[in-house]
Amino acid sequence: MEDTNTSAPMKLLVAILFLFLLAPVILVVPLSFSGEQILSFPPESWSLRWYAALADNPKMISAFWTSLTLGVIVTAISLAVAIPAAYVIVRMRTLGSTFLYNLFTAPLLLPTIVLGLAILIIFASVGFLGTFTGIVIGHLVITLPYALRVIATTLGNLNLACEEAASTLGGRPLTVFHRVTLPMMAPGIVAATALCFLVSFDEVVITLFLTGPRLTTLPVELFHHVESRADPLVASVSVLLILLTLAVVMIVDRTIGLSKTFVK
Amino acid sequence: MMHQTVLCGSATVSDGRDVHLRLDGLTKRYGESVAVAALDLAVPKGELVALLGPSGCGKTTTLRMVAGLIKPTNGRIVVGSNDITIMPTYRRDMGLVFQSYALFPHMSVAKNVAFGLEMRSVPKPEIERRVKEALGMVRLEALAERKPRELSGGQQQRVALARALVIRPSILLLDEPLSNLDAKLRDEMRNEIRDIQQSLGITAVFVTHDQVEALSMCDKVVVMQGGKLEQVGTPVDVYEHPASPFVASFVGRTNRLKGTAQGDGSVTIGAMKVLVPGRPGGKVEIMVRPHRMKLVEEGSVEDVAGQEVNRLAGHLKRVTFVGDLLQYSVDVGGAEIVVEAASDHGRGFRIVGTPVAVLWRVEDTMVFGRGA
Repeated sequence: MEDTNTSAPMKLLVAILFLFLLAPVILVVPLSFSGEQILSFPPESWSLRWYAALADNPKMISAFWTSLTLGVIVTAISLAVAIPAAYVIVRMRTLGSTFLYNLFTAPLLLPTIVLGLAILIIFASVGFLGTFTGIVIGHLVITLPYALRVIATTLGNLNLACEEAASTLGGRPLTVFHRVTLPMMAPGIVAATALCFLVSFDEVVITLFLTGPRLTTLPVELFHHVESRADPLVASVSVLLILLTLAVVMIVDRTIGLSKTFVK
Repeated sequence: MMHQTVLCGSATVSDGRDVHLRLDGLTKRYGESVAVAALDLAVPKGELVALLGPSGCGKTTTLRMVAGLIKPTNGRIVVGSNDITIMPTYRRDMGLVFQSYALFPHMSVAKNVAFGLEMRSVPKPEIERRVKEALGMVRLEALAERKPRELSGGQQQRVALARALVIRPSILLLDEPLSNLDAKLRDEMRNEIRDIQQSLGITAVFVTHDQVEALSMCDKVVVMQGGKLEQVGTPVDVYEHPASPFVASFVGRTNRLKGTAQGDGSVTIGAMKVLVPGRPGGKVEIMVRPHRMKLVEEGSVEDVAGQEVNRLAGHLKRVTFVGDLLQYSVDVGGAEIVVEAASDHGRGFRIVGTPVAVLWRVEDTMVFGRGA
């Protein structure tokens, strides 16, 4: 970014906007070090007791592992479906390509609450409620459109001539795909991976309908916790979540940054 | 179109060379529109043939059909004695150089060049040796470990050339390989490609919209328009004896005047009368290359080596200095004629409005019919 030409008032405006957007996130950090029983700002005393309480809370910890496993599995399936699907839609343009693409990305436009309700009604009759499989499928409904969109866009922007060159050099279609197409798609795949994982890890609305007493995800567990109690435990969980998200984003930035220098 | 001579098959192999690539009635239709219409062409072994034409004339489509990247609607593609019309691209054994270079961005220069050999399961030591040899041929050994993005356009194009040649393809296909390069580099690469093609004796098809490239590099020029062949011939043939007004005006600069042939070897253009070779009749268009014309002072008795000449009087309208040439625009009875002369230190007629006369030899006049 070049900011040499940005005027001082503009810089101030941007700073204020950033502060406005980030204020809630920043606020959570001091709250998590509170020594109080109840959430209040500013805290009157400081301690690490709520981080200790978190370590002693088996429900939160098991919910975290559920979310993590879920995120990984959902991301893996999303990519496994979206990469070939994007290839077929973008590269093998048939009559229905545009229709299929729009259909598969449509869930992005629907309110998640509507999706959640619809999934609840269907899963109730199939017996998927409160099961891990049920939550995986529910999450896939919202992660797949993201994955497909990002990967299809990446694929569409690739220089088709590279793949053609590979085939004139004797590369069979599958060889061309894994030696040339796939490596060139790497930045898009990394972005899709991060997006799918974060969407699944953060998802509350649909998950609320699908979790049960024995199986719950971290965001849902947090939600329930806040409903019943108002202690700063949620703040310490939030801080850990922010750190995790930041780590994922940084990995992506590094990788895509590197890949960009590769690609251009 | 009158005078259309499509020389192919036997005509192009009169020098006894074997036909290496033959297109028989090759056609590509996209719905209603015809990109390539029943193209017949024979390319002798070891020749460099240019497909020359404006954009949309079907030259690239033709090349891509030969490479197997586009499926022909009709017709056959034959290499040697094998019909490869429906053979998949990866089995065709053709080296294709793209306009956009199409190097693999995630591989080093050496890896790019090695790709085709790896696909052929060539043993590793031999791959190394041949990659080195190919990079040597294009003078890029020193850059083997670089990534394509670290190279200049000309270097990238040379890598693309090495990558296409290292597999020792049966035919080399070049799709406007020079049009992304700047003018000076283009001249260099032109000579380099021609030299390499000659030293390997490889059959090559070169697609271009640039007549200079086609005329200067190629053994044979195929002029195309609207998916059809306009003319096939040596560069000299195509330039000196264009088969159609399109070829005359597309290959080289030309003056065009419309008139009516009298059947006695003359053509009237408005109030003017011009002598032409032969005895054509009916509505015609005459064309004369600007550098075949000479500008003289009006009323001078200067002549062109005692030959039959045409002489039109007019006024100097514009003088353009383009370094090695002076271009004169002359208003001749309402029509504008461009005359080119070597610029002798910029000396020449300079005063606009001067009464002048344009001279040219009758035999330098090209005549084309204009339908009924």
